[in-house]
Amino acid sequence: MLQRFLDPTVLAGISSLDLLAKTVVDGFVAGLHRSPDFGFSQEFAEYRAYTPGDDLRHVDWNLYARTERTYLKRYRGETNSQLTILLDASNSMQYSSGPVKKMDYARFIAASLFYLAIHNQRDAAGLIVFDDEVREYIRPSTRQGQLARLFAGLERAEPRARTNYSKPLQHFQNFLHRRGIVLVISDFYEEPQTIIQAIAPLRFHGNEVILFHVLDPQEIRPVLKGSMVLVDLETDRRMEVIPEYVKTEYRARMDAHLEALRTQAHAAGLDYQLLVTDRSLDAALREYLALRQAGN
Amino acid sequence: MGFLAPWFLGGLAALSVPVFVHLLRKHVTVPRPVSSLMFFERGIQSSTRHRKLKHLLLFALRFALVLLVVLAFANPFVRRASADANSRLLLIVLDRSFSMKAGSGGMSAGTRFDDAKKQALATLAARPHGEKAQIVALGGEVELLTQPIADDAQLRAALESIEPGDGHANFGELGRAFRALTETVHAPIDLHLFSDMQHSAMPANFGDMVFPPSVKLTLHNVAKGAAPPNWTVESVNAPAELADPKDPKLSRVEAVVAGFNTPAANKTVSLVIGGKVVATSKVNIPENGRATVEFAPLNVAYGSDRCAVRIDGGDAFPADDATVFAVRRSDPERVLFVHEAGDTRSPLYFGAALSAVAQSSYVLQSVVAEQATDLDPSKFAFVVLSDSLTLPSIFEHALEAYVAKGGNVFVALGTSAVRGTRIPLWGGQVQDARDYIRDYARKGAGIGVGQVDFSYPALAQQQPGRDNGGWPEVKVDYAAVVDTAGARVAARLTDGTPIVLDKQIGEGHVLLLATGLDNLTNDLPLHPVFVVFVDHAARYLSGTDRLSGSRLVDAYVQLRSGTEPAIAAGSVEVTDPEGRRPLSLSEARTAQSLRLEHAGFYQIHFANGQDAVIGVNSDRRESDLAAIPDDVLELWSGSSPDAAGGTAIATAPQETKQPFSLWWYVMLLAFLTAMAETAFASRYLGTQREGA
Repeated sequence: MLQRFLDPTVLAGISSLDLLAKTVVDGFVAGLHRSPDFGFSQEFAEYRAYTPGDDLRHVDWNLYARTERTYLKRYRGETNSQLTILLDASNSMQYSSGPVKKMDYARFIAASLFYLAIHNQRDAAGLIVFDDEVREYIRPSTRQGQLARLFAGLERAEPRARTNYSKPLQHFQNFLHRRGIVLVISDFYEEPQTIIQAIAPLRFHGNEVILFHVLDPQEIRPVLKGSMVLVDLETDRRMEVIPEYVKTEYRARMDAHLEALRTQAHAAGLDYQLLVTDRSLDAALREYLALRQAGN
Repeated sequence: MGFLAPWFLGGLAALSVPVFVHLLRKHVTVPRPVSSLMFFERGIQSSTRHRKLKHLLLFALRFALVLLVVLAFANPFVRRASADANSRLLLIVLDRSFSMKAGSGGMSAGTRFDDAKKQALATLAARPHGEKAQIVALGGEVELLTQPIADDAQLRAALESIEPGDGHANFGELGRAFRALTETVHAPIDLHLFSDMQHSAMPANFGDMVFPPSVKLTLHNVAKGAAPPNWTVESVNAPAELADPKDPKLSRVEAVVAGFNTPAANKTVSLVIGGKVVATSKVNIPENGRATVEFAPLNVAYGSDRCAVRIDGGDAFPADDATVFAVRRSDPERVLFVHEAGDTRSPLYFGAALSAVAQSSYVLQSVVAEQATDLDPSKFAFVVLSDSLTLPSIFEHALEAYVAKGGNVFVALGTSAVRGTRIPLWGGQVQDARDYIRDYARKGAGIGVGQVDFSYPALAQQQPGRDNGGWPEVKVDYAAVVDTAGARVAARLTDGTPIVLDKQIGEGHVLLLATGLDNLTNDLPLHPVFVVFVDHAARYLSGTDRLSGSRLVDAYVQLRSGTEPAIAAGSVEVTDPEGRRPLSLSEARTAQSLRLEHAGFYQIHFANGQDAVIGVNSDRRESDLAAIPDDVLELWSGSSPDAAGGTAIATAPQETKQPFSLWWYVMLLAFLTAMAETAFASRYLGTQREGA
């Protein structure tokens, strides 16, 4: 029954991100209890050979005593225990054809994931808000009040300026010291190659990088009744467009863009997921968990 | 072309509104925001052009709509000929007067009316196809039987339905009717008159029968040759009421027989009572002359007797050989005369005058006012209150009820009528009392009766003469001034004081003489006109003059009083000479009067229970079959005094042009434009909405 609250149209009416995230995650987790496929616990996962630099505290000394070999004991709950979300706050994110803006949708996802990570799994979580530069950075932490700080950061992330992936992502390297999950939420209006080139380096530190591509349904399948002047939200450039073009050529080009982005992301070892703002939020959470499952 | 309300053209300033709106719309576009123009390309030019064209069409429609609405308010018109040659109106007038029943003469055995109807039908059939026509019957009055229509069957049926009547035609009435008609019908009229062109149908003034210039008159005279000889009973003088058949003064019938265009001849004249010839008389009628025949005594039975005087005409017009009349025999009716105790002169004068009247049969019962308590007024023909202003209350109430039910009272105000005295039944007081004796002493001349309404039944005189019926010789010394509200003033003194008044109360009447009957306040009882006055007043007040006697065709009989409430009224039954009931059930309850359309005996049962039999005769002017001289007919038909030819006159109105308003057409166009604008605008605005 709580599933109906995961509809982004309904969630748009909830002003508090805290309440919103709690509603989404609790509803979502309540739904998951019936599923045996997903689980969250500190149970044993695997043994891994010791390599120099590993923390000696995680060496299984009992096993060493029996076999004289050093193995590290790993648990599920310890894997990727740091979540960093990179949120695109450029002007294009404020587009909407319905009651929910792309930015709102992105916020809902981010808030829900933060709640899930901190409240349910005691993971560290951080936030980087960027457009053409890094606007806000909240260091990943599990400290008391971290969730509130993250929500406040999300609240402050109003769309403005343009997107520029290359410039802010240079700084991301400085922020991401520990391995973890890096989640990039954006509409990715840029050439796929440029995007991948900018984001792929994040993976070099052992990060698991997931791209959440947020789009409005009207951006994928736009409908025009007649000739119309369109204005770019980021550049303010105007252009008169006819419906015939939108019906045929535009859709083809958009499909090609999505396909190229997906392909190149996978090729670069990045996970990619397209999120359309008319879909319910549990789909996004499902994608996230599926990707984590795969990563473990 | 012009405008009937040009000041509305100021509304053309509103044309700037669509211009302004469309100019603004061209510059103000509502762009649609998108995240990125990355995948878009600029549209081709042709589509933008198409869109602009649509705007231009919308703008044109809006511009036209405002323009048309303003024009509609300004009411444009064009001048159009009021009628063209094809819109002539054929008017067929068929004379159905009494004289048309006469034989047509010549070879045919039919009447003049039959010939006239045949010719009228032929004229109707010969008219151009599609030409509008109208059928008119001319009898005692002008009857428009159809509207101007082109339907042959309807016109023919209307013409066929005309039957010869008993009325008297008057070409003056015809002229007046068509002068009124041409004020509404602007098309030229071809008038075909089918008549015997009887000379007696001409009005006294030739100008009355002249038609307006737009009427082209064609005469069809159905009377061939010289007028045939015709004898008729021109008039009958017989008592309507008879009490004693042995009374030599009253029980007699005097008839005047006349010949028109006849040689001297011996004719037999008969008196017919109840269908039986009771007396005959030979009479020698001179050439084109008259003779008088007298029948006495008149032995009629009790009740209403249907009588006729008939002449053995043996002429071409047998319909006028008899004149009918009704005589009602009854016992002498009593008249209650109430007077003051000391007044013995007024009953003497009034009784003497009443008994001197030739045609009345009344017995006067005089009584002192104080002794009238137990008397029932309904047992008397009428009641006279001679200077009796103080009545026993019981008797006064009885009198009020009597008048309300239809009884009539004659009130004479004598010396008792001083200022402030209440007048019984009249409903008011004596407002003033005029004493003219002092005037007489000072000026040496008394005051007389100045104005007399001779149409009032109690004062009726057919030919009052130059002495005004003898009334000016009456000297009045004392007269009361009464309230005239709701009353009819039938006579006034020379100073304007009403002297004879009539007021209707309920169904009855109160006749008020504002002076006395006792030869003290005036010298009226000493004049011959007093006898005539008493005679007429007695017949009027007793109501017997409407129960019998004779009338002319097209006269009216009053069936009930005008102030009578319709619900309380009883039903009236009328049987015409053919035995039919001319009034429908609803008319029988509401009709105020009846027009006597046919010759013969009418039987009428009035609402108050009285029965009447009335003999109705056609106007004897119809018996003179002489036609209008040809030169007069030519003058009437072929020309008017101020024009050269009828054709020229008839075509004159064709050139007049009438303004023809285009308002309706402009408004229709505006409506269509508005619909088109709505269709285009909704499509256009719908696109804008989805794009927004």
